[in-house]
This record gives sequence, C-alpha cells and structure tokens, in this order.
Amino acid sequence: MPAFSGQLVVFGFASFFALAFAVLMVVQRTPVRSVLSLVVTFFGLSVLAVLLAAPFIAALQIFVYAGAILVLFLFVIMLLNLKEEAADEDDRPVQRTLGLLVALALGGLLAGATLRAPAPPRGMPSLSSIPSPDEIPALGRLLFSDYLLAFEALSLLLLVAAVGALLLSKRKFE
Amino acid sequence: MSPTLAAALEGAAKIAFVWACVLGAVLPNLIWVERRMAGFIQDRPGPNRVGPFGLFQAVADILKLLLKEDVVPMYADRLLHTVAPLILLVPAMTTFAVIPFGSTIHLFGRDISLVIADVNIGILYVFALTSVGVYGLVLAGWSSNSKYALLGGLRSSAQVISYELAMGIAAISVFLAAGSLRLQRVVEYQASGTFLGFLPLWNCFPQAVGCLIFIVSAYAETNRVPFDLPEAEAELVAGYHTEYSAFRFGMFFMAEYLNLIAASAMMATLYFGGWSLPYLHLTGIFGSLASIAVFAAKTGFFIFLFVWVRWTLPRFRFDQLMNLGWKVFLPLSLLNLLWTGALVLWGVI
Repeated sequence: MPAFSGQLVVFGFASFFALAFAVLMVVQRTPVRSVLSLVVTFFGLSVLAVLLAAPFIAALQIFVYAGAILVLFLFVIMLLNLKEEAADEDDRPVQRTLGLLVALALGGLLAGATLRAPAPPRGMPSLSSIPSPDEIPALGRLLFSDYLLAFEALSLLLLVAAVGALLLSKRKFE
Repeated sequence: MSPTLAAALEGAAKIAFVWACVLGAVLPNLIWVERRMAGFIQDRPGPNRVGPFGLFQAVADILKLLLKEDVVPMYADRLLHTVAPLILLVPAMTTFAVIPFGSTIHLFGRDISLVIADVNIGILYVFALTSVGVYGLVLAGWSSNSKYALLGGLRSSAQVISYELAMGIAAISVFLAAGSLRLQRVVEYQASGTFLGFLPLWNCFPQAVGCLIFIVSAYAETNRVPFDLPEAEAELVAGYHTEYSAFRFGMFFMAEYLNLIAASAMMATLYFGGWSLPYLHLTGIFGSLASIAVFAAKTGFFIFLFVWVRWTLPRFRFDQLMNLGWKVFLPLSLLNLLWTGALVLWGVI
C-alpha cells in the first residue's frame, strides 16, 4: 500500500470531523447544536466503519444512532424548549475539579491501553477486500449461537428500560 | 480501456441515466400530474393554460420559485435555516443509488447490472438515508423560531420514528423470504417462481399484511396526506416550512417529490417484483430495455396512487396517527414477520 493513498485521506478527514465535532458537542452552549455536532461525529465514525470494510456496521451507525436515537434527543430538547445555557458562575468548584480529574484519569487509561496494545498490521484493509454478501448472515449466526446469552441479556436490559420509562411517565400523570 | 476506467464510466453513465430520468422527466411531470389530477378529482379543469394541456405549468412553477424574493426571518438561526432544506434534499437524491431499475444488460462486451450500486446492505442504506432526512424537517422547524414551524418539526420527528419501526419490520420479512439484503437479489427472487402454484412469487401475495403496512407507512414517512401532519395547513399554517420562501421552499417541495418517487420505486421493488414480469423471462438486449419499462410502469402506478390518495382522503388527527403506528402497525408487522418465518420454515415460499 502506498504511504499516501486515497483511503488515508478519507481516514484523515473522517477522523478529523469526528473528533472536531465531538469537541464542539461539549463546548456548544445551545443544546440543539450539541446534538447536531454529535450527529456529524457519528457520520465520521460511520465512514471509518466503511474504511474497515464493515458497511453493515456503518449503515447501522447511521440508521440507529443518527437516525433514531439522536432524533429522539432533538425531540425531547425541542419539547422542553431548552434554550442556551446560562454562563457558568462556577458555584460548584468541587465537582468541577473532580470532573476534570476523572476525565484526565480516563484519558490516561485509554492512552496507556493504546500504547501497550500490540502493533496493528500495517495499513488498512483495502475496499476491494469487503467480505462477500455472506457478511450479514454470518453476523446473525454468531449473535444467535456464540453470543446468544449476551444478546438476550441486552434485549432484556432494553425491555426493562422501556418498562421503567413507561412506569415513570404513568406515575407522573396520575 | 482499463477495467477500473470502464467501471467508473459505467457507474457515471448509470448515475447520469437515473438522474436524467428522475429530475428531467419524472419530477416536472409529477408536478403537472398532481395539479391536473387535483383538478379532475375536485371537478375543475386545473392548470391548462401554459402550453398544450398545461404541460409547461411545471416550468412556470419552478421559474416562479426561482425568481421570488428569498426571506429569512429576523430571529431565525441563519446557519441551520440555510442548511435544513439541503439536509432533506441530499438524502432524497441519493436513495436512488441502490434501487435496481432493470435486469442485467449486455452492452459493449460487458454485463451491466442496471443498478447504480448493488451493495450488500441494500435497503439498510435506504432506511439510513431516509432517517437522516428527518433532520431537515426538524431543523427547519426549530431554526425558523416560529411556533407553527416548531410544532411541525416536533410532529415530524415523532411521526417518522414511529412509522420507521413498523416499516423496517415489514421490510425484514421481505429479506427473510429473499435471503439477502441486496435489492437486485430481492427482485431476482420474486422473478424466480410461483406462489401456491399459480400466483407470481411477488412478496405482496404471501406478505399481504406486510405490503399494506409498508405502503401506508411510506405515506407517513414522506409526509403525504393522510399523514401530512407536520405541515397541516388547517392548524399549523404550513408547519415546518412556514418560514421558507422562494427557492428554499422549492427545495422542500423537490425533496418531498423525490421521496415520493423513491418510495414508489421501493414499493415496486420490494413487493411487486421490481423490473420483472410474472411468467415471462425477459432476455436479450430488448428484454433488458423492456425490464426498465416494466419498472417504470410499476413505479408510475404507485406515484399515481400517492396522488390519488392525496386528493381523496382527509387528514388524520395526531393521536389517531400515533395509535395507528404503535398499537396497530407495530404488532401487525411483528405478526407478519412470524407468518413469513413460518412460510419459509415450511418451504411454502
């Protein structure tokens, strides 16, 4: 693989957008704009998934996260009509310091883990090596055989969350 | 010619063909058909002065939109107000990439599959794109800084998410039967045999319920009557595009029609055999050309159905819409999935 290929350029752009908009999401004062920044981040991640020859994951990333979950976020923000956050007055110095420390610790852990990880194989998989159309059945077979327990546990978790949300919203109205 | 260059040229030619058909032929005529049909159904002539039978009315409409003053409300979020119609339009224009519009044609010594990109995620790509289109409506509503637009945006987000579920589950049954997400494969499957010995193996027969759910949900997804609540003019002036004028409004208009065309093409592809004809095998170069005509005819029928329904049915109330989506369509689509699973298991289809 040449050192400077089209894929590398795409990787650079996608990563840059993903990271830049992730930062924007945190810094942004208008909640709606924060959500939108997160959408752009998800698009960046989805492009990375395509580069890793996983178009199915890329489509799910857009369909589920950008298309459903974040639209719900927007829906709630608009429903509550959240306006711009008030400027910080720093009335919670302890929490601020704690938050900063935890963020630093997490960042340090991630950096450490990345540095210790074995070196990845040189270069990225080429787009021509995208798996045959059997990628999706294979994934389904794995989910319903080797990972059945985890899969069912996750679906149960989601069900519990949905039931809990219903219960809470009902109680409020009565 | 190197194979890469040939493939690139082939792709470019297919994109040019699809866009020429959709933007050049279908879209302007659709405007005319809709207005004339409205006239016919309401027992009045409709626009009949511009050109023969009023055929150039679309050109006049588009020119009017281009030449009008473009007004942006003073307190609107300027950036998002500008971007919102684009967010809606771009996905609407790109969904056509995965829809197969004909069989394989043999030209210049190459076998050309008549679909721009036959990707293995097929319909997931379409669903992913349409779900992004919602942002256009929501942001148009929010950025306009007007209560009517905001309510329209809110409604559209709730409505699209609700119907996406039932629609997605209905579509899963199609892929259960065909065994692939690839849309070209779905069409080939439907052309491959018969159902119960005499009916064509079109998905609309074994999965009649799923077909109905998909079609009705498509009306909700494209914000067409009877589910056009995001722009209900009796309550919300014009809903999410209240504060849009001139060509920005034109972009919403165009996106709605493009979505309508794409939804019609999806209905024809998923449930009515796409470019195939029952009992007949279209072969040779004329067979391939005929398959394009068959696909166009089927899509045309569903476009006509969209227009027919719009001028015939009244609008739903919002709670009725939500009840239908969550309490009727979602359970029914799950039942349809079970039913299809049983049919596949017993080898009926």
